[in-house]
Order: sequence, then structure tokens, then C-alpha cells
Amino acid sequence: MLMLSKIPKWNLGLIFVLMLEIIIFGLINPRFWNISILLNSFNDFIGIAIIGFFVTLVMITGGIDISGGSIIGLTSVVIGILSQLIGLNIWISVILAIVAAGLCGLLNGILIAYGRVQAMVVTLGGLLLYSGIAIVLVGVSGVSAYEGISGFPGSFSNLAYGTVFGIPSSIILFIVLFIIAYVLLHFTKYGRYIFLTGINQHASDYAGINTKKVIASTYVLSGLSAGIAGTMLTSYLGSARADFGSEYLMSILTVVVLGGTLITGGKGGIIGTALASIIVGFLQVGMQMGGVSTQYIGLATGLLLIISVALLSISSSAKENMKKLLRPKFMKEGNV
Amino acid sequence: MNETNYLINLEEIYKSFHKNNVLKGVSLKLDEHEVISIIGGNGAGKSTLMKILTGVYRADSGKVEIGGERIENYNPAIAHEKGVYLVPQEPLLFPNMTVEQNITFGFNKSKYEIREETKKLYEELGWGIDLTRLASSLTIAEQQQLEIIKGLLRKAKVLILDEPTSALTFSETKSLFEVIRKLKDTGVGIFYITHRLDEVFEISTHAVILRDGKVTLKGSIKDFTKDMLIGGLLPIGSESKHSNSFEKKYTGHMDRPPVLTVENISGDGFKDISFKVYQGEVVGLAGLVGAGRTEIAEAIYGITKCQKGRILLGDKDITQLGINETVSNGLSYIPEDRFLHGIFPISSVRNNITAQVVRRKGFFIDNKFEKEVTDKYIDRLRIKVTDHHQEIKSLSGGNQQKVVISRVLSTNPHLIIMDEPTRGIDAAARSDIYSIINKLKEVGFSILLISSDLEEIERISDRIYGIYRGKCNAYLGFEAVNAVNVMKAAFGTYEGSDSYVEI
Amino acid sequence: MSKFKTLMKKREFRTLFFLVGIFIIVGLINSDFLTIGTIQNSLKSSLLYIVLAVGLTVVLLTGNIDISVGGTLGLSAAVSGILLKNGGSIFVSIVVAILIGAIIGLINGLGVTKLKISSFIMTLGMLEITRVIQVIYTDGQWVENLPAGFKQLSQLNVLGFNLLLIIVMAGVIIVHLFLTRSRKGRYFSAIGDNVDGAILLGVPVQRYVTLAGLIFASQVGFISTTAGLGIEMTVIAAAVLGGVSLSGGVGTVLGATIGAVIMISINSALIYMKIPAFWNDAISGVLLITIVVTDAILSRRADKQTKKERLRARVLQEEVSINHAHAK
Repeated sequence: MLMLSKIPKWNLGLIFVLMLEIIIFGLINPRFWNISILLNSFNDFIGIAIIGFFVTLVMITGGIDISGGSIIGLTSVVIGILSQLIGLNIWISVILAIVAAGLCGLLNGILIAYGRVQAMVVTLGGLLLYSGIAIVLVGVSGVSAYEGISGFPGSFSNLAYGTVFGIPSSIILFIVLFIIAYVLLHFTKYGRYIFLTGINQHASDYAGINTKKVIASTYVLSGLSAGIAGTMLTSYLGSARADFGSEYLMSILTVVVLGGTLITGGKGGIIGTALASIIVGFLQVGMQMGGVSTQYIGLATGLLLIISVALLSISSSAKENMKKLLRPKFMKEGNV
Repeated sequence: MNETNYLINLEEIYKSFHKNNVLKGVSLKLDEHEVISIIGGNGAGKSTLMKILTGVYRADSGKVEIGGERIENYNPAIAHEKGVYLVPQEPLLFPNMTVEQNITFGFNKSKYEIREETKKLYEELGWGIDLTRLASSLTIAEQQQLEIIKGLLRKAKVLILDEPTSALTFSETKSLFEVIRKLKDTGVGIFYITHRLDEVFEISTHAVILRDGKVTLKGSIKDFTKDMLIGGLLPIGSESKHSNSFEKKYTGHMDRPPVLTVENISGDGFKDISFKVYQGEVVGLAGLVGAGRTEIAEAIYGITKCQKGRILLGDKDITQLGINETVSNGLSYIPEDRFLHGIFPISSVRNNITAQVVRRKGFFIDNKFEKEVTDKYIDRLRIKVTDHHQEIKSLSGGNQQKVVISRVLSTNPHLIIMDEPTRGIDAAARSDIYSIINKLKEVGFSILLISSDLEEIERISDRIYGIYRGKCNAYLGFEAVNAVNVMKAAFGTYEGSDSYVEI
Repeated sequence: MSKFKTLMKKREFRTLFFLVGIFIIVGLINSDFLTIGTIQNSLKSSLLYIVLAVGLTVVLLTGNIDISVGGTLGLSAAVSGILLKNGGSIFVSIVVAILIGAIIGLINGLGVTKLKISSFIMTLGMLEITRVIQVIYTDGQWVENLPAGFKQLSQLNVLGFNLLLIIVMAGVIIVHLFLTRSRKGRYFSAIGDNVDGAILLGVPVQRYVTLAGLIFASQVGFISTTAGLGIEMTVIAAAVLGGVSLSGGVGTVLGATIGAVIMISINSALIYMKIPAFWNDAISGVLLITIVVTDAILSRRADKQTKKERLRARVLQEEVSINHAHAK
């Protein structure tokens, strides 16, 4: 089903790490084995996970999106201002905010695909711009930047704290977005185009695939997912602030790369990203329960990231070297 | 003249890559004050020979003597030291450095000295490039001048110019020739690689014809005529790399309206091109690398736009359409550079085959359909794979190309443009592809074939248009297609056609 | 006039013009802005960013990136801060800081060249790791109450100019000269520029990539105690604003310096224009995107033009065909 036999192997490794994690943390603190605590902990990293799903698509096309974190803050502020200061219905505010997030993604996508500027640069500019707009909105509306906008209706808080058939709604959202991303990437024509574009954009162009549209659309999806993440976070924390999500940047990239997606594009999968986000999320929960400060979690994720990428690149660099040895000669010969 | 006085003396050079013998015993001498033109079709071994001369490749056997001294472990450093300097077709400069930085890069000399010497050379050659300009702002001619200066600063005694005029304008070419004459007078020996026979007569003292890894003709330019050079380029029957068991039959339908009509199109790299392709025939665009054939194909396919003229597919005007639309109108293209534009290397064989046909299907991937298509073409074109999910980059060049052909065929196109379909492919796969092309035309496909391999184009095309320096200057009907005529058309010396008016 | 034109063609001068433009416009609105004091203050507060942007430029020129700056900065600052607090001499703490930077740079460099990890990922991981080590080392506490003598370092004036400013500017000039004038320095840009060409001339690419990381991190090391959180994106933005390309080979440290000053000047310019400071990020973002997109479009147009000219030149000209006829 998957493009390569290698990815399942990588996923197997991730499952192994996840099991190991659960066992170790459980031994340290048996409370970790309490299912409801584990399930509720999803609220702490759902934002990272759902943005990660769609940044995976972006990265497979060969791009990168680092603006997700600041779109979270922007969405949060827009929801707050529209619903609390302007007085719109909360759900209309949410929809408008998510649309705004999609527009941020669209701007990224257009500049990258049609303006052909490096994704890193554009989304870096976006990172500054979107959080900048959020700060401006907060500043102009005269709300205290530290306290943020609060006083949301109970129905809105239910988004994060409610349950559906006894399952926390954050888990439901995680599963729904996982399925959407997974089906989109692995079972549709669009997903196929994403892979082909990432593997060889020229060849895709020659095959009549509208690669610009494909690329731009992945950024829109990533922006929309950041909008949803922003909504969840606002609901979870009960207030709207511009700096929400600003610390997510590194975590999002970590889960995507740890999930086995190649930073150069063309290879990757949603299952890997999902597993990696659970690993990183549980790491956080487990460390907290073990009495370790959350600040230390970076050490673990940082090491995980470097080690996993080193493993990936060592296995592929052997092949790469072979290719380098064979290919230039071969090409030159062809031109003789 | 004493043997030891030769600047360069190559004797019986052999070189092969894998099992492909590129040079089969080449001997060559260059003396001071000589300009030797090296002429050969694509694949004759010119580039390999030049790389051996500059030490990039090492010959499998044979003798390399420079300045009368036999050199055993020849490499690029020794070449520079001995004053052998190559001016590449597309100079390898650092685009974001200034001219001066490019000149001094990797050169152990004080800046002041270099500047003085450069100035002197400029005066002698009548040039003047501002040393502070960025290399990226130089024209190709100026980049070549810079390369020549770099060579002369290193006291080059032998300059190798690799198709230097391929991207030069008329006046730039004139001034380059002036420089070559001046250099010749100062005693520098020059190897001049070219496709253009006029230039050979204009500036060289000697000519060497290389064909299929062997020198077939060599001597003073005074003893040659153009026709003799063309004759040297032609294969002798027994030498042909293709078995001649193959009988060509015309299966076209010139009675029906043409599948493709190209009317007077002009664009970047080509001018006033007109031709027609009918159903069931293979039409060849014969020409050398850089003649503008690929540019014509890209304009038809919609990768670039033409500035004027009209392209009709059937009776639909596709002149201004992009790739997306031309593809949905039934056009398909097998690109020249398989690695860059053809395959998706880390993708499976199946995904490579169905990359184009999936657009016909709905939103979701239809695995059964893809499997059927893949099975069908693996079977039909006899593609050697272990299973559908094998990465295409692990296949041989020939099988990769068959996958690309499958992809194109799966969309059942009206017209297939094949650009160098057998480049980098071994002999067996090559003849497979020829028979595929032959079958395709028999079942009624129309094919526009582009190839630098003139034997190939002669062998499989029903009709041929000769493209020489961006213009269509020769037309060969089915009866007129033969080795001599194709060679003449590609080198721009064909005269036997009424569609070409000589000024 | 033609000199002016060649100047304008250089990217860093366009950036400089832009900076001067900001000063003039803001100066017109509020003339207080145009005093030597304000300008010196702008420069002074951008010192940290200048050093970081210059270091980053060296890495960017090789076609790599370093986003672990913030972490390296924080860690070395914390370690040397604690040393100072416990009575260590200023000299020792500076040496230790530089050493820490060098070690982190070496690890980054080795990871990128030997393990072939993409520099983005390598330094991203390193950023997280260094942050945690910093937290562990300082026990999550702020490093405060540094000796007065150390704090005065940044206030010292020589000939009316701030000492650190002089040191940093001297550093910029030395790095600039090194990169543009010396052979070794030019390899840096060559590596990013045209790896094939550089290899052809026998440049040991990998060693210099490592060295770049070393130079970079050691420069970071000697700046005083700022946490450095989130600083990496600002620094990258400053370098890009100054015309340094993220794909390597293009850019100068002078440009990066000007870029850093612009990023900081926007801050003070807003104050003088009586615009609330919360506009800062939005304006930087718009600036960055506009400048980079314009640059990309301009350079692509130029590329297309040269390609066109090349192709056109190939087409048989009328004169040649006349000549062709004569030859027979």
C-alpha cells in the first residue's frame, strides 16, 4: 500500500519506541497506565499532531512550513476578538478564524509555488507576519497581552473538555484529522500528485500535473490545520492570546521528521507522524508524572530527532554514494 | 620535424566505459601554430577524447606525450602544469564572484601580478572585461573570453575549445576567430571541436574526423572538401551498430488530414519551422545537439510558448496551451533527459507507469485499474521488473525508458514526441525500443522523433526534416531518407530538396 | 553615474539605501530620531544581532543553516554568567563561553558533514538539547547579580564610541575581508556557489563547513547574558533581509549587518513615529516577504533573459547564410 517497504519498517520502530516508553513510564509511575489520564493527555499535544499531519504533506512536496505556530496565535486572537469584543456568535467566529488561517496558508502557498521563493524564507516571513498581525490585533483592541481575551461560553470549552461516547473530544479530533490526512495522502489522486511532485517536480510538470497548484494547496491545508489547532488550544486554555503556539515550531518539525518523512521530500507518511506525535506527547506526560520538569523534554526530543535522522541518512547515504559514483559517469557517457 | 617537438602526441588511445568501447585506438598529434578541427557526430567520442587530453579520464591503453615527454599518471593538475587548458562549452564559473575573483581562484600568484598580466593579455587580444563585474552578468562569449584568459595566464600552450561558437552571435564568432588566429600566430596549438563545417574551413589548419571511436579522416584542411568530410562521418555498411535485418515500410496515411500541423513557428532557439505529421508515421527531426530540436518539441508540448506561428493537433489550435491542456488534448512527450524530466526515481514502477493516466480517474486511487494498466504494459513492452513496487531507479536505463513509454502510451495519445528515446541505453534495449516504435506506427500512432544519433533517425523515420541552427533547412521524403542525406541535413549541407532555397 | 549604477546593483547597497530611507522618513516625522545618540543606540542594541547574523552568513554561504544559535547563546551565556557570579575572572568566563560555542559548533559540523544529517535538522535538535542543558545547569533559575565590572563592559566608551560597538564592527570588517579577500574565505562562498566547481579545484568542502560552524558558535559565545529564546528566526530574517541567500553562495556579511540593524531600527523608529511597538513583528514580516519575493522575481527574470539570449544566438543568422553560400 505504501510507497516503500522501508516506511513500515520505520513505523515498526516507532511503535517499538512507543511501547518502550509506555512500559518505562508505567514502571516509574503506575498512574501512567491509567487509560483515561493517557487519553486526556492528548489535549496537550493535539495541536502539534494535527499541524504535523499536514506539514507532512508540505514536506513530502519538498517544502517546509514553519509558520504553523504563529497561525495558532492568530486564530486564537481572531476568535477572541470576533466573539468577545465584536460579539459574533462563537461558532461563526471559529469558522472565520479558521478561514483566516487558511488564507495565511494560501499566501504562503502562492508565494512559494507561483513566486518560487524558498519555502523556508516565505514561511519565516509568515511566522513573523502572522504573529505580528496577532499582536497588532491584540494591541489595537486594547486587551492586555498577558491575560488575553477570556470569558468564552461553556459550549466552546466543551470542544476541548467534552467527550463523545465517553471518548475525549480531542481524541476524536485527532482520529478524524488523522483519517482525513491519511486518506488524502495515500488513497487519492491528490496524494499521489503530492508524492510525485516531491520526488521530481520537473517530471511531474512534464507528465501534465499542475505541480504549482498541488504545492500551494498543501500550504493551505497546513494553514487550515493550524487554525483548527488554534481553536482547540483556545478552548483548552480558556483564553485567546497572541503568543499561543509560538513554542510549537520545533515540536511540529520534530514529529514530522521523527515520523520518517524525508526533509528533501518524496517520502513519508501520516502514520509515522501520528506515532511520532504520540511518542513526543507521552514523553511529556510521562516526564511530568515522573517528577521531571517539562523543560527537560527538549533534551529527549532533540536527541530523538538527531538520532532518528542520523539513522535514516546513514542507511540512505550508502545508496546515495553508490549513485554518485555511478551517475555522473553514466550521464557524461550519454553525452559523448 | 622531430617527434619530440609535438605539443601533444596521442598514440593508440583506447577507452571504454563498462562494456561500451568509446575510443578504439585514436592517434593524434598537435604541433605549434596548428588549429586542428575535430569533427564528429554525437557519440563519436569527442568529449571522451577531450577528457583524456585534459586528464579527467585515464585511457585504458595508449601513449600520452606532452611536449615530447611521456606522461604516465596523467591528471588535471598535470594538464594545467603542462599548459593544456580546456575552454568548456558552458564555462564553469562561480556566478556570484567577480571576474577577477574567478581568474584568481585557486591560483598561487599575487593579485597585482595577475592584474598586470591580465591587462597585457587584454591589450594583445583586443578585449576588455571590467574585472569587478560579477561573472553572472557576463555573456557566454565573455565567459569564454574569461576562460581563455584563465588558460593563457596559466601559460597554456594547448587550448581546447569545445564547440565555442554554439552560443555565440555572428559578430562574437568573428572576434573569437580573430583571437584564435592571433593565438595561432604566437605558437599556441589549438584543438577546435565543432559541428559546423563552414567554421572548419574558415579557421583550422587541419581536420580530424572521429567516427565511432576511430579517426576516419585526418589531414591538412587544404586537401579536403565539405563532401569529403561528410563522407568521413558516414558509417561504412559493416560498421553499423544496428543489424540491417530491419525492413522499413511506409504505413502512414498522407491521404488523411495531418495529426500535427506546425505552421511557421518561431521562438527562442528556432525560427520559421513548418512541418506535418500524419497518422501511422514516424517523422524525424534530424539535427545535432543544440540545433533547436528540443526547443521546438518543448514549444509544441506547451513547456515554452512560441512567439509566432500556429500549431494544430488534428484541427484544434494548441499554440498557446500549457502542458496540462496539451496533454488532455492527446499530446505526449518522452523527454530528452530521463533523470531530470522523465522518471520519479524513488517511486515504484507502477506509480511511474500510471503517473499520467490517473488523471483520467476519479478522486480516489483505483488500485485494480492501476494494477491492470501496469501488468498490461510490463507484459506488452517486456519490462524486466521483480514486482510493481520496485523502485524505478533500480532498473536498467532501457527498462526505465520502457516505463516512461508505457506511461505515455497509457493515455492513448494522438501524437507521441520522443526526444532522444535511446540515450544511455544498451544495444539490446535499443533494438527493443525500435521495434516498439515500429509496432506503434503500424497500429496507427503518430510519432515525432528527435535524435542526435543519425543512424537511428535514418533507420526508423519515414520522413525527415533537417534542423540546422534553429532552422528547418532540409526535407527528406520516404524515398530520400538515407545515411548520406541525413548526415548532410544535420550538418546543414543538404541541397537536393526543393523546400530549401539557397541564397 | 555609472559608478552609482554598479553600486545599486549590489544587493547590500540596496539594503543600505533602504536603511537610510527608514532613517530619513522617520527623521522627517520626528527630527529627534536623527541624532547621533539615537543612531548609536540603534547600532548598540543591534550588536548582538549583528554578531549572530554575521556568523550565520558564513554558514549560509556554504548552503547550510544554523538555527541552534539561540540555544548556544543561552547556554554559553548561562555558564559564563555562573562562573562570573562565583567569582571567576572575566577572561576565564569569556574563554569558557567561546569553548562551549566551539564544541557545539563542532558537533553540528560533524553531524552535517560526517553523519550527513541535514543542517536544518541537526541544528534544530541541537537547539532543543542546548536549551535543556542550560535549564539543567542553571537549575531553571535566572543568572542574576553578575559582578558590576562585567556589566560595565557594555557601557565602556573609547574615544566617545562604545567599546563593544568598536569590537563588533572590527569583527564584521575582519570577517568581511576574510571572506572576500583571502583565498580560504572565498572557498566559503565557492562551496555554496558551485560545489562541482569547488571540488574541481580541490577545495576540501567538508572541513570548511565544520569550520564555519566553529567560527559561528565561538562568535556567539562572547556575548553577554541574554536568554536567546526565539532569537534564531530574527537572525535568519536579518541575514535574508541583508541579501544573504538561504541556498548558499550569495551574500556578504556587510549585507547581513545592515539587515540586522534594520530589524532593530524598526523598533526604535516605531517609537519615534509614535506607533505602538506591537506593530514591530508585522512590519518586519511584511518587509521580509516583500524584499525576498521582489528579489526572487527580479533574479528569475534575469535568468530567463540570459537563457533566451543564448538560445536566440544559436539560430542561423542572415549574414552567416550569405557567408555559407560563399564558402562553396
